Amino acid sequence: MEALGFNMSAGFLEDFRLQLSSTDYGNFLANEPLPLSTATIADKATEKLVSEFHYIRTNAVEPLATFMDYITYAYMIDNVILLTLGTLHERDTHELLERCHPLGVFDTMPALCVATNVEELYHSVLVETPLAPYFRDCLSAQDLDDLNIEIIRNSLYKSYLEDFHRFCQTLPAPTSEIMTRILAFEADRRTLNITINSFGTELSKDQRARLFPTIGRLYPEGNNALARADDVDAVIAAVDHIAEYKTFFDKAGVSSGGAGTGAEEASSSLEDEFFKHDVELNKQSFLQQFQYSVFYSLIKLKEQEVRNLTWIAECIAQDAKDRVNDYIPVF
Amino acid sequence: MSGTGPREAVFPTRMNLTLTKTRLKGAQTGHSLLAKKRDALTTRFRTILKKVDEAKRLMGRVLQLASFSLAEVTYTAGDIGYQVQESVRKASYTVQAKQENVSGVVLPAFDGVRSKDASDFNLTGLSRGGQQIQKCRDTYVKAVGTLVELASLQTAFTILDEVIRATNRRVNAIEHVVIPKLDNTIKYINSELDEMDREEFFRLKKVQGKKKRDAEKNDETRQGQNEDFRAQGGEVHRDEGIGGGVAGGADMLDEGKDEDVIF
Repeated sequence: MEALGFNMSAGFLEDFRLQLSSTDYGNFLANEPLPLSTATIADKATEKLVSEFHYIRTNAVEPLATFMDYITYAYMIDNVILLTLGTLHERDTHELLERCHPLGVFDTMPALCVATNVEELYHSVLVETPLAPYFRDCLSAQDLDDLNIEIIRNSLYKSYLEDFHRFCQTLPAPTSEIMTRILAFEADRRTLNITINSFGTELSKDQRARLFPTIGRLYPEGNNALARADDVDAVIAAVDHIAEYKTFFDKAGVSSGGAGTGAEEASSSLEDEFFKHDVELNKQSFLQQFQYSVFYSLIKLKEQEVRNLTWIAECIAQDAKDRVNDYIPVF
Repeated sequence: MSGTGPREAVFPTRMNLTLTKTRLKGAQTGHSLLAKKRDALTTRFRTILKKVDEAKRLMGRVLQLASFSLAEVTYTAGDIGYQVQESVRKASYTVQAKQENVSGVVLPAFDGVRSKDASDFNLTGLSRGGQQIQKCRDTYVKAVGTLVELASLQTAFTILDEVIRATNRRVNAIEHVVIPKLDNTIKYINSELDEMDREEFFRLKKVQGKKKRDAEKNDETRQGQNEDFRAQGGEVHRDEGIGGGVAGGADMLDEGKDEDVIF
């Protein structure tokens, strides 16, 4: 992984490609017809990430193989949710297969397309996918019909995080330690985001509380406080005892009493702070030897890098040079 | 006789003259009314043109902003297009059309209406980027608002343009075709009537001359007969008549009703 050490004067996406060709990405855009679109760049970069992942995965032995499978589960959840959404709205789900995230593709995924109603889909998910335990834990076929798709997604993700966490505990020491740290942050980030984003929506506090993962540094008392929170101030109060999170809010400039538009404005930079910290944690996992979390971090950082590339490409395409540096530097 | 320019095919009578004069007056009134309408429309047209220009520039800016906020969403939340598409159940932004009357021209005006329960997908991006998505949606709603406004202006622009053209055509037609034609007709009728007057006068003169000559001849013959009669020793009595005088018998009008003379 290399730094995005290219010249920001890249005026057009063609120059952008030229700059990238001297990096690790090499000629990944070489065969693309002009003019380049940012979507193509994002697709190709993701493709490269996926092929690298599969290369490692193929060469992996247990327990790394299982560990890497766990990494893909997160994307699988997204894909299954996408297919569920298609089925719920009675779309042709075969078209959706192309829109699925390539990391989350599993062999039996096309089989899910056979399902024509939610009941069938639920059963085929249980039988065909590795996600079965998560589905079984938190949903019934009835729920798929009734609940908002985002709630389903987040409940599944919650189960997934907890399960991944459990699995990491079974691994030897350095891995479990680092992964606990990373996953705890991931869980806390979701908890905070869900809380902040659910203000002013129809999501009830009960439902909200059920989406909070039961791991992380905020669990349990922070989660309880967040479950009752009504505004950003309450959220800040709930994370008060964890210094890092408190600094996020301080940096993001969510002033106490800054509700309404101020809070909205601030939470976007809060998101940035989260990303920064995420990258930081993932970078730290490279400092230890003889552990697996480095693979997880590699994928996460690569993903961030793809996001950065897309962002820069987008800024160039939209002629917004002043925002081009607003990405999260990886290394 | 005015042989210049076209005229209407009418008989040159006094009635037609009156009729044509009324029509000319009507045409002039119509012309000034249409000219006024044209001016009003043109004023309106100019204002709309200015607004269209402004709206177009604004649209450029707003859409750029909107697509950039979409880029921000893609950065934080990934591709959410499909989720958003699928979770929309009914339009949250609708357009209401109403009518506006500008000097008799009906212009449609569109109003964007944001429905109250516009929270169809506010759970999208719950765990990541939800705020950006909301922000992006607001930006796009604004962008759509600008587009609606622009559409309304643009439609008004097209309709007004057409109406102004039609009005202009009518004004010009009245000014350069109808009014000269009526003018010519009036001139023609007048000249024809004058001509007829002159002919009539001349004819009367002629008739009068003839009558005078005949009367003189008659007088002479009678004088001669009287002379002859006197010479033979007869006596000529002169009928004085009622109110008659020395010149009584010589007055043409007293000779009795003449068929040819109407007054």
